[in-house]
Amino acid sequence: MMSDKELSQHFHQIIEKHKGILFKVAKTYCQNDDDRQDLLQEMMIQIWKSLHKYNDTFAITTWLYRIALNVAISFYRKNVNRQQLNIPLVEEMASIREEEYNTKHEQISLLNKFIAELNDLDKALMLLYLEDKSYAEIAEIMGLSVTNIGTKLGRIKEKLKLKFSQTKQ
Amino acid sequence: MNESELKLLWQSANETLERSLQINKNNADEITRLKVQHVLASMKPTKVFILMLGIIWVIGLGSILSNFIDKISLFFVFSAAIQLLLTAIAIGIYVYQLDLINKIDFSEPVLTIQEKVSKLSISTLNATRLLFLQLPVWTTFYWNEQMFAGNNGLLWILQGIVTLLFVYLALWLFVNIKYENRNKKWFQLIFRGKEWQPILQSMEFLDQLKQYQE
Repeated sequence: MMSDKELSQHFHQIIEKHKGILFKVAKTYCQNDDDRQDLLQEMMIQIWKSLHKYNDTFAITTWLYRIALNVAISFYRKNVNRQQLNIPLVEEMASIREEEYNTKHEQISLLNKFIAELNDLDKALMLLYLEDKSYAEIAEIMGLSVTNIGTKLGRIKEKLKLKFSQTKQ
Repeated sequence: MNESELKLLWQSANETLERSLQINKNNADEITRLKVQHVLASMKPTKVFILMLGIIWVIGLGSILSNFIDKISLFFVFSAAIQLLLTAIAIGIYVYQLDLINKIDFSEPVLTIQEKVSKLSISTLNATRLLFLQLPVWTTFYWNEQMFAGNNGLLWILQGIVTLLFVYLALWLFVNIKYENRNKKWFQLIFRGKEWQPILQSMEFLDQLKQYQE
């Protein structure tokens, strides 16, 4: 069992090493900068609250994806408020505008748009697929069978391909 | 666009961003000092305010009743006692269910947690069902002994009809306010305000989850 200090250090290491996961999930579910800051903060709070229960039965990335996705999907529906902290969560993040990326790459913009149009669960599947997770890992994160993941991802990919091909016409 | 092109596109959209991401250490430190939050601390201020009003109502009216029980009409005492009891139970159920939502472990699989969260959110409707049960007492609290004296037949028939209608309405709403009736017009009419939005969204999401698991 870790001491409070060790737990705190472990938390900092996890956040620093895997901040990309948190940001990508937040970016997929939240278009607004301010809301995204709140969402990232909520993810970190939930990670801290669950950290003492973590065991290595699952990879740390599986565990983090579960928390990040669960928080993101619940974010707008839940009826309890977040604990407020008045310190900016991510330095420099505010200066990185999504528009910059979008103007640079029209296709990236289209991909983001198409993903944003998916329902919350399809968004999660697509994100994990694009992050190159195996079907087995996606199944563990989502709580679905591998076969089910394959079928659903097949449908989503077809949908995206169709949308991309329509924009070329 | 093929699958590998899609993945490359996704990676290029994120790589610059990942390089420049900095987590604010102060904020992370602050989070590690968070203690377990009491459910009330996690609620929106408006909800806390309404909840507090409810509690003040129960305590205030309860103490008035207990102090003046021998000076007030028995009909008023009986009606107010039922109203207070139902309000107190509804507040208890509401806080208990919010507390359960607050304590959910988000590290379980996405579909498991989302189903749990949606069902718990929908179950806060139970508090509302209970509150509807108090409808009839709003037609009885003003009764008094003088109303029984004299020849007031017509008054009692009218009063009886109104009270029975309210009893019927209260029981009907208590039985019928449930997830299965979410698409009925009367249901959407009652729960169309902004404050009900999270519950209605949870219902829609639960539908989505069920289809997803098929």
